[in-house]
Order: sequence, then C-alpha cells, then structure tokens
Amino acid sequence: MLSRTAENLFWSARYIERADSLARLLEVGYRISLIPNTERGYTNEWESILETSGIKNEYLKKYKTISKEKIIFFILFDLENSSSVKNCIKVARENIRMVRTAVTLEVWNAVNSSYHELDKNLKDTRNILKELPEIIEWIKKQVNLIRGTILNTQLINDGYDFLILGTYFERADFTARIINVKYFILLPSINYVGGDIDNFQWSLMLRSISSFRAFKWAYGGQEITYTKIIDFLILNMTCPRSLIFSIEKINHHLGRLSKFYKQTSTSQKKIGLMYKNIKNLSATKITDIGLHEFLKSFIEEINFVYKKFEQKYFFGSET
Amino acid sequence: MYNEVYKNLKVRKFYNQIYDWAKSLPENVIVKKKNEAENLFKKIGITFSVYNNFDSTERLIPFDMFPRIISSTEWKKIKRGVIQRALAVNAFLNDIYNSGEIIKAKLIPENLIYKNPAYEIKMIGFKVPKRIYSPIIGSDIVRINEKNFKVLEDNCRTPSGVSYMIENREIMMRMFPELFEKLKIETVENYPNYLLDTLKSLAPKKCNKEPKVVILTPGSLNSAYYEHSFLADLMGVELVQGNDLFVDESITYMKTTRGPEKVDIIYRRIDDKFIDPITFDSSSLIGIPGLFDSYKSGNVNICSAPGSGIADDKAIYSYIPEIIKFYLGEEPILENVKTWRCCEEDAKKYVLNNLNKLVVKEVHGSGGYGLLIGSKSSKKEIEIFRKKILANPSNYIAQPILELSSVPIFDKKKLSPRHVDLRPFCLVGADKTKLVDGGLTRVALNQGSLVVNSSQGGGVKDTWILNE
Repeated sequence: MLSRTAENLFWSARYIERADSLARLLEVGYRISLIPNTERGYTNEWESILETSGIKNEYLKKYKTISKEKIIFFILFDLENSSSVKNCIKVARENIRMVRTAVTLEVWNAVNSSYHELDKNLKDTRNILKELPEIIEWIKKQVNLIRGTILNTQLINDGYDFLILGTYFERADFTARIINVKYFILLPSINYVGGDIDNFQWSLMLRSISSFRAFKWAYGGQEITYTKIIDFLILNMTCPRSLIFSIEKINHHLGRLSKFYKQTSTSQKKIGLMYKNIKNLSATKITDIGLHEFLKSFIEEINFVYKKFEQKYFFGSET
Repeated sequence: MYNEVYKNLKVRKFYNQIYDWAKSLPENVIVKKKNEAENLFKKIGITFSVYNNFDSTERLIPFDMFPRIISSTEWKKIKRGVIQRALAVNAFLNDIYNSGEIIKAKLIPENLIYKNPAYEIKMIGFKVPKRIYSPIIGSDIVRINEKNFKVLEDNCRTPSGVSYMIENREIMMRMFPELFEKLKIETVENYPNYLLDTLKSLAPKKCNKEPKVVILTPGSLNSAYYEHSFLADLMGVELVQGNDLFVDESITYMKTTRGPEKVDIIYRRIDDKFIDPITFDSSSLIGIPGLFDSYKSGNVNICSAPGSGIADDKAIYSYIPEIIKFYLGEEPILENVKTWRCCEEDAKKYVLNNLNKLVVKEVHGSGGYGLLIGSKSSKKEIEIFRKKILANPSNYIAQPILELSSVPIFDKKKLSPRHVDLRPFCLVGADKTKLVDGGLTRVALNQGSLVVNSSQGGGVKDTWILNE
C-alpha cells in the first residue's frame, strides 16, 4: 500500500472519531444549559469544553466572550475553526476522496453523504441551542454508520489497520485530555465529603465520554468515588473509551502490521511496553504517582509511539 | 439541423423503441428518475472541478437520460476510422522525433514541427518502448448529416471522459433495466481491462517481470480526479501523486508501507512540464526529480510519451489526411473538418474577411476556451479576435461553423433536441489496437448552443451501439 494511502486512511478515521468526541462533549454542555443557572460558574463548563477540544485560543480570538450559542456554532459549523465538526467531516472526506480506491463504495457513500447532509441539519443559527439535540443525534448516527460500514465491508487488511489506528490514537488522546482538563476534581481532597458538587462534576465527566450508564453497570450501582472513576476511565478493559482499551487496540493493530509486513518497528515495541505497564496499574497506584503526572507522561509516551509510527509507515524514514 | 432520431420525418427504426418509451414516460416519472440519477452521481462522487479566479468547486456533470444511439453499421466505419487515425498519429510522432521523413518529403512545413512549442527537443532520437507514443487517443467526432461523420480533433495526451462513458451506462442500467432486456446494446465495461492490457504491453526495456503499472494524478483538486481514481480502482493499480514516487540510481520507485517498490509503467494524467522539475519546469513542485532520466535509461515507461502533445496541435490536425496517406498508404476513412491555417497568407485573408461565419481556435487551446464562434459573437468580440489573429497568425486556425447533429433531451418534462458530439477512446498497444463499442456523447444543454464542454454548459448521455 502507498504510504500516502495509509496516511489518508489514518487521518480520515481520526477526524471522524474527533467529530464524534466533539458531539459527545457538546451533549454535556447542553445538559448543563438545562440546569437552572443559579450557581456561579457554569460558564466555566463551557470554557472547559473549549479547553478540552483544544480550541480556546482560536475561539477567544474570534468572539472575545464566552457565549454558549457561539461556542456551539464554533464547535459544530464554523469553518474558521480548523477542528469544528464540519471541518472534521470535510477533512475526513477529502482524505478518503484522495484514496477513494482504498475503501469500499459503502464506506465512501457513508462519508460522502455525511458531508453533503451536514448543513441541512442546521435550520436556524439563532436557535442553535434548541436544535442541538437533533444535530448531535445526527452526528452520532453518521459516525456509527461510517464505522459500521468500515467494520462490515472493508477487507481486514493493512488498510483496515490504519483506519482503526486512526480511531484509537484519537480516542486515547481525547480521553486523556478530558481527564487532564478536569483532573483536579478527581483529587482526594481534605474537604471531600461526597457532596453534590463532586457528584455532579463526576457525572459530567462520565457523560462527556458517553459512559455514565456504562459506569453504573460496570460497578453494579455502587456509590461513585473518585478511585472508581479513575479505574473506569483509565484501567477498565470493558469501557471502550478508557485509556487501556485504546492502548490495547493500538498494540493489537501495530502488531498486525508488523506481522503483515514481516518487519519490526519501534512504535510496536514501545506500545507493547505501555500496554504491559498500564495492565499492572491500579487506581490507587495512579493516585500515588499523581493523576496529573501520570497523564502527562501518558500523553508524552503515546505521542512518541505516534511519531515513530508516522516515521515508519508514512514517511519511510525509519528502517 | 440534422436530428439523428428522424429520417424523412419518420423515427429511424433503431430509435423506435426508445422514442416510444421516452414518449410514454409520465411527467412525474421523468422528474423522479432525473432526481434519482442526480442522487446516484452525487452519492458515487462523480464530480468535476471548475476553476475560476476565486476558488474551485465540485460540480455534478448534468446527465440526460435519453440515450444516443449509433447503428452498428455506422459504428463499424467510425471504429475503423478512429483506429486508422490512432496508428497514423503514432507513426507520425515516431517519425518527427527520429528521421523526419514527412518533413523531408515536404508534406508538412518544417517550422510547424521544429518551431512548435509542443515539440519536445529532449525526445529527439529516443526510442520509446514499442514505438508507441500515444497509447490512448480520444477523437472528437461530429455528425453533419445522415451519412457524414467528421473528426474535429484528436486528443493524444490525456483525453478524459471515459469514466463518464462507463458510469453513464451503469446508471442507465440501474434505472431502466427493462430497456437493456429488450435491446441488444454493446457493452463498454471492458474498457479498464483493455486499458491495463494496453499499458502492460508497453513495458520498458529493463523490465523482465510482470510490469507494475500506476496512474499518476496531479491530485484531488484536478478536474478529472474522479476519473483517475475510477480507472485505478477498476484496473486494480495504485493511484500515485508526484511525492509518492522517487528516483534512485535511475530506477523509479513508489513509497509504500512495506518500503520502496519499483514502478515500470506510469499512465500519467499530468502535463509534460510537471513530469520532472530537473528536465522540464524547475519551478514545479509536483514533478518527480530524475524521472525523465529513469525514462530515457529504459527503466520506466511514461504513457503518453513526453512531447506527444504536438499531435494535438490544431494546425497539425489539418494535415492528418496527408499523415494517414504518408504512413499507412490509405485514404482517410473519416474526414477532417475544413481548416484554414492563419499562418498561410491566403487563408488568413479569407478568415479575416469571414470572421462572422467561422469558428476561430487557438492552436493549443482546449476545453472550449480561447475560441470565437463568429455567428454568436458581438462585433466587439470579433474585433478583439481580429487583432489577436493579426498579432500572431500562426497561433490560430479557423473552421466553418458546423451544424452538429442533434438528439433529444428531457428538457423539463418534454423532449427537445440538442446538439451532440461523440468521443470514442482508442487504445494502441504493442500489437493490438482496440476500442470498446461505445463512447462518450457530450451534449450542449442550452438550446441552440454548439459548445458541448462540461465547463461550459455541456452534459453527457449514455451512448448505445445497436445492432440494426
């Protein structure tokens, strides 16, 4: 397979995953806006949504003030925002279009029609908050459709590996960022009394990765504690948005590539090590290391894996 | 105006069934099917890009559901004529880049060849693989009356439109399967196989295994990108861009996830000047440094060969009848359109005195740009062209304004005639010259218009070769 083809497949899947994550993040914002705004500080939630998606500076440059309608538009439709959902789908489509022949017609149709239909869902920008649930539903539906066609129709060959790797590099990054932006709410605190505020903050974090109900099921309806959340978001293999889950997937697919090409790679060795380490961790150990420190080095390591992976398969500069 | 459907006011017999069918379609079905076709094109992503000064946008090519029919007898003649031209053009290219017999025989003025900007001096004396310079030729054919088909030009570099030929058929088959059960319509689906066979037969000297073929595209912003990816897909070959290729020790490789892989035959859909920045245009960023050297050392073949474009030249076109006679010793099967070369004093005089009755074309123009249709232009436009011709006469040729034949389209809900042309695609391999039985029919959708180019209000139709 051409290196550029692999690169285009990787990025198209990565952008689709990002569109999905952004939609889920906005769902949380929508929830907050439904709660009577009596307490101070809910604008903070919107700010942290901008921060998590890594576009706070871009937004403030354009709009100056925090406004939920503007943030929603900026994240969903604004073409000036390089990672708006619209741009994500557009770039994903462009990438797929460049390698039209490496995906099945069904995958292409799913991506192509998502792009053509996106605008139709926004009828009135002034009413964007009201229309938000429907738009989010639509985005999630399209992403599921695209992913479904990938799983059901693509050949399970190296191209498939690059698509899946795009998804999980993005997901690992996004989940790590969500936790990192709000890591302080997961710190053991002397003031901790299991109060409503903590509960509320934790449930928001779970919701932002669409895992609120999953969490309840996974822990049998036990009381929410910060260690359980750490365990769930980082170490639980049954949670598809946990860090360990993404690491396992990346490890698996890099391994497949090595076997397929009969070549070893630095990225594969490094991810194998990461997977081994994270398997042996526990929530209390992470708290001992310090959640923030743990995340910092996690992000550094996964970036290293990506860099090596990119060098080998996209640039041909690692032998 | 010649309408292909009728003969002596009666519907010709091989149009009978289609005509009755089209007449019997209720208005709401026509509207529904039109939308269905448009959605299919959109879904499959059959688009082309249009450039203007601001940006490029993707557009759908307008598709008309009324098929254009050519009888098998008519087609046999077109086919023979097209093959004859394709062989003559290749013999001509081989000659002018080597001993230049046709010039010595004084059949074509020396200056027209050696001073032609499309003549590539770097190709002089080089023996291209199997002596085939231009393996894919798309000739534009117009019909003047019942008997007479004429060739308007031969596109020898990178003719496009073949993907529409195939997709138009796919869409018609999907929408109106009942027609295909009833009528015996020749298939066009073998084109990609023929193309791959043709390309593989042109392996370079230093290739002693199964040759590796790739298509070289300028990228997804190119107006014909859909076609490039379509052909790559149907031939099962890689679609590469300039930066996917590199040359090491005169051998051309592509970068793959497994490491470098040797490439033997490049079907290039980029212009000569973008092939190799070292040899051609040093300001170009999309070329492959060293590719021309790899080509000349027999490690890779570039199809079509650099410098083939000279056969596309509209002044050279006017010599095609002589070219056919000179190399093949045959009379031309398909006629040329009468052409005045403004570089000749008498011709220039005639053209300047009759601008309102002629079509004037730039010799290197294409895509319907840079031309004047005298009868449809204002005085001012004509005067602008007069000055252009006087300033640089050898840059222009003129032809009579042809009344292209017409075929009905579904205009809104009714049938209404529109002008059409025909582009068959001829494949010239090492030992075989082939065409699929069909071609691309382009149609000028604006009433009365004679310009069929997609960039200027043209659409397409499925083209059927039918047994009588």
